[in-house]
Amino acid sequence: MIVNRRISSTRWWNKRNLWLLILFLSFISFVRISKGSLYKDFYYFISRPFWPGQFQREILKDSTYKELNIKVSQLDKDNKRLRKLLDLQRAPDNSAINAAVISRQTSTWWKQVLLNKGKKDGVEIGDSVIGPGGLVGIIENTSFLTSSVKLLTSSQSKVGVWNQRSNIHGLLVGLGNNSPRLIFYSKGLDVKEGDFIFSSPASTLLPPNIPIGIIESIDDESQITLVAGVQLLAKPEAIDWVQVLKIEG
Amino acid sequence: MKKKFNTEFSLLTFCFIPLLFFWNPSFITLMGVQPHWAMFWLFPWSSLYGSFYGFLTGLSLGIVLDSLNYDMYTQIPGLVICGFLFGKLDKYKSNELNRFQYGLICAIGSLFCNVLYFCQYILHQLAQNNIVLLSHGIKNTVAQVFITALLAPVICNWLFYLFKKNNFLGPPNF
Repeated sequence: MIVNRRISSTRWWNKRNLWLLILFLSFISFVRISKGSLYKDFYYFISRPFWPGQFQREILKDSTYKELNIKVSQLDKDNKRLRKLLDLQRAPDNSAINAAVISRQTSTWWKQVLLNKGKKDGVEIGDSVIGPGGLVGIIENTSFLTSSVKLLTSSQSKVGVWNQRSNIHGLLVGLGNNSPRLIFYSKGLDVKEGDFIFSSPASTLLPPNIPIGIIESIDDESQITLVAGVQLLAKPEAIDWVQVLKIEG
Repeated sequence: MKKKFNTEFSLLTFCFIPLLFFWNPSFITLMGVQPHWAMFWLFPWSSLYGSFYGFLTGLSLGIVLDSLNYDMYTQIPGLVICGFLFGKLDKYKSNELNRFQYGLICAIGSLFCNVLYFCQYILHQLAQNNIVLLSHGIKNTVAQVFITALLAPVICNWLFYLFKKNNFLGPPNF
């Protein structure tokens, strides 16, 4: 009887700590495989009482007004241009999804924000996110209740844009700071400081003509490309509410 | 039930680190950079449980934190090495360390993790000659080291107290 007990106590499946280790490792694996969805959804619930209020948007009234002015002038020009063309393949859907920013990492290594809308609300990877001022970023990852936005300032961000005044297309590349770099792949172009930058109608990632920023400096030293510094219109560090735009295929 | 909860308390606190990462309270930041939350937990845990468990928890923390952002870079090497080295401190009687030394150790750990992360950035962006990223990386590293050193004496001391009070019965026996 005693021998049986001893044998039983030395069996690996009777060791509680080993089961705890297995449970812990399973949990870690689950978090890894689900890309942190469990944590994001849990954070959604516990941060709910602290979500930003509607009145905080008034702080950004000025940039919204500026955005609308630019947008109207751009739409007018775009309308005239479109009359000459047969069609545009992609256009923004009317059904934008309003979402609150529940977590933000704008000054650290990770340039991302977490929204309180996820797969449940129809948010999908690749959707564009706009805030007061213009484009903020692109949906990078979604969980059931939340979604992560890769900001334009991220060093991983690359989006197609165009200069509204001279109709020149370029690539906006995030540098990790607050001023992304705009690269035009030819020299001697008509680009000036103060030009407005919009999402490119030729882009397959974004809806066309969303305001993005203003050219604040031009670096003409490169032999092959023309590089410009861009000041973004939307400020992710101050935005509490955003809209997720669906793209029609 | 209470005994069981107390025994697993230190491991349960592990789950709060990603939530702190999301929360990112603006009143505990320096130049917009939050402290290295993982370091506050890893240091007391590893120095109480030893190098092997420090290594394991460093790896687990790295995997979980990497899952929360979309970067192609990883925090695993820094956290694993820190967990292992903090575990070595028990040989030098971590009980005799004072609170200011907690700050110094966490600051060095944070510096090490940031430098390793930054090296990955530099290697990847080398081709783009991205000087702006260099200044941004240095700012991030310096700010995080300072804010971590500032908060470590308070948070680590509190965690040491909690871990010892609730569950420290020697290294787990798997």
